[in-house]
Amino acid sequence: MAAPHSAPDPADSIQRSLRVLGWLLVLLSPAYAWAVITAPIDRVQGVMQKILYVHPPLAYGAYLGFVVTAVAGGLFLWRQQAVHDQLAIAGAEVGTLFCTLMLITGPIWARGAWGPGNWWVWDPRLTLTLLLWFVYLAYLLLRSFTEGDERAARLASIYGILGVALIPLNYWIIDLAGGRAQHPENIEQGSLGAGMGMPFLVGNLTLFFAFAYLLVLRWRVGLLQNALAEAEAEADRGPQRAA
Amino acid sequence: MTPVRLRGEGVAKRFGRVTALRGIDFEIEPGEAVAILGANGAGKSTLLRIFAGLSRPSEGRFEAIREVGLAEREGGANGSADLARPDLRGAVGYVGHATLLYGELTARENLAFAARLQGADASPARLDGLLAELGLQDFSSRRTGTFSRGMAQRLAIARAIVHEPSVLLLDEPFTGLDAGSAERLSSQLSGLRARGRTLIVVTHDPQRGVELADRALVLDRGLLVAHVARQARPGAEDVPFAAEALQALLARFAQSVGSTGSVGVDSADAGGSGA
Amino acid sequence: MNAAWALLWKDLVTEWRSRDRLVAMVVFSFLVVVVFQFAWPPMEAGEMTRFAPGVLWVTYLFAAVIGLGRTFALELENDAMTALALAPGTRGWLFLGKAGATWVLITAVQAMTAFVFALFFRVDLMTGVVGFATLVAVANVGICSIGTLLSAMSVRSRFREVLLPVLLIPTLIPILTSAVVGTTATLAGEGLPFAALQPLIVIDGVYLILSFLLFDFVLDE
Repeated sequence: MAAPHSAPDPADSIQRSLRVLGWLLVLLSPAYAWAVITAPIDRVQGVMQKILYVHPPLAYGAYLGFVVTAVAGGLFLWRQQAVHDQLAIAGAEVGTLFCTLMLITGPIWARGAWGPGNWWVWDPRLTLTLLLWFVYLAYLLLRSFTEGDERAARLASIYGILGVALIPLNYWIIDLAGGRAQHPENIEQGSLGAGMGMPFLVGNLTLFFAFAYLLVLRWRVGLLQNALAEAEAEADRGPQRAA
Repeated sequence: MTPVRLRGEGVAKRFGRVTALRGIDFEIEPGEAVAILGANGAGKSTLLRIFAGLSRPSEGRFEAIREVGLAEREGGANGSADLARPDLRGAVGYVGHATLLYGELTARENLAFAARLQGADASPARLDGLLAELGLQDFSSRRTGTFSRGMAQRLAIARAIVHEPSVLLLDEPFTGLDAGSAERLSSQLSGLRARGRTLIVVTHDPQRGVELADRALVLDRGLLVAHVARQARPGAEDVPFAAEALQALLARFAQSVGSTGSVGVDSADAGGSGA
Repeated sequence: MNAAWALLWKDLVTEWRSRDRLVAMVVFSFLVVVVFQFAWPPMEAGEMTRFAPGVLWVTYLFAAVIGLGRTFALELENDAMTALALAPGTRGWLFLGKAGATWVLITAVQAMTAFVFALFFRVDLMTGVVGFATLVAVANVGICSIGTLLSAMSVRSRFREVLLPVLLIPTLIPILTSAVVGTTATLAGEGLPFAALQPLIVIDGVYLILSFLLFDFVLDE
């Protein structure tokens, strides 16, 4: 009979955190929606400016997602426990989601802020996010294209660590190649006028917890799938004569 | 060539769906000759790779202990730093299914490269000596891409021992060899063993296993199910260490469905499975 | 460390005897230059100088991807990868040997490409050639280090020809931007383009160290 082998079963703590996060989101979401709707409309940029309450908060998910992936990958390389690898996958998938949303809302805001024709701007932050998106994509493709579950986990962990070094490196480089930020006004540093602070704060909180919730949820799904696969493999192996 | 003892407790290798090894206990003394038998997919090659320092077990303790008066811990349990593995790799020689040779290089160049890779003496005199030992002295300047399977196999062995390892690991070395080459290989291996090396051979052919080894570990789907030795223990009912008996044993496991009756196999002393 | 030199030597010797990577990279580079030539409207001599750095470095990058793709392909034949994995001691040295051999190869190919490029596009690459050469040498260190690591990672995959570029190109972008900025400077007559060399050296350092340390895990099975 196979003895349980992985690290102490995190199932209970995961269930509990899911419940807590879930309730938090249930409470925060209507507050968020209300705050955004009732926020004052910017004189200059109009309703579009309200993307301020969505786009920057998404950054938590996009960037933290990768950090989680890298750290979980590092743990996997050290301890070889599948549970860490599942966390890495969760980080990558949820992170990609948030990153994609950033890349969609970014241009919408740019268009709103600078008028027609400005769907894309070489703003340092947006450029970095685009690069991050490609790194995410590479990570996911690496996983699908590598044969062998364990090898995929190992190589993905390596790439995750590489990627996380890539981000600050590119930030620095993009900053240096400063000529790219053609626009005098950086999107991210638009000053928060009166009445904008609250929705901004609520937005940050909500999307941060949304990220946490989705991350833990995806992690749980991954762990369950793993457990199922193991049980099936065990059954397939058939009765075995042990000493 | 300092003797190395290999010891494992609950050694397992698994990830998700795939379980190659499930809790194996073993102890291999320096100078022993052990055969690892089992059907395909039993985990034999995986175990050998762990011995070679190519893989880390996902659970359990695996130790390679160098015996130089004081036992120095070389290996480590799952999770501890792999400092030891780099040294373990220097103490073992590995001959796998593939020859590990570069077709564009000559025999001597291949051997020189292997020597330098392993940090061993790569002087032409020594290399030529080694080639002569394996009957390849006439081909030392020929590109290995032109070698026959038997010649390549011999060079692969030369490669594996160029750094004087105390443990020699072979994974199905007799595959693809004709009877003559197989005989030659068998005697070569016995010769190598005679010099005090530990020999561990993975094979699915019990005949060869019995020829080369004193005992055998029998694996089935990742578990150590039988531990058969030439030396029968008093009172225990052992499977005779003979090819036919082993063949029957393997066949029984290949059929796989629940044989609950005792086969009279001496599995008690190795601690059998880890489950 | 001896092993690193052994590997470097082995790679260069095998490359010299079969010339397969060299030929592939040279032919590909020439083709890319020719394609660009056809893609651009006819220009006066010197007019291309503004675009030259970008075009040249794109060509370099793609050729490097081709060359790097083959780095470990040879090792798969007869499973020589396992032989590398069996080497005792720190595996990072093996990585250095491999990366070094690729550096020699890529630099040679790039020199030839530059020559053809200057000829076709009638751009005077001799202005600031010392600065340009330094730039190329330094940039290649970064390209070869991360490229060798990623090549080892993608080599066992069925999709390695697609996988390597996908993994590699995002990591090469910072090198690309700095190199182009530097080349623009050297073509304008500047001596050593420090503004570009500085970030390149930092990138090289980061990539070298990370690849050296992580290579151990790539060779595991």
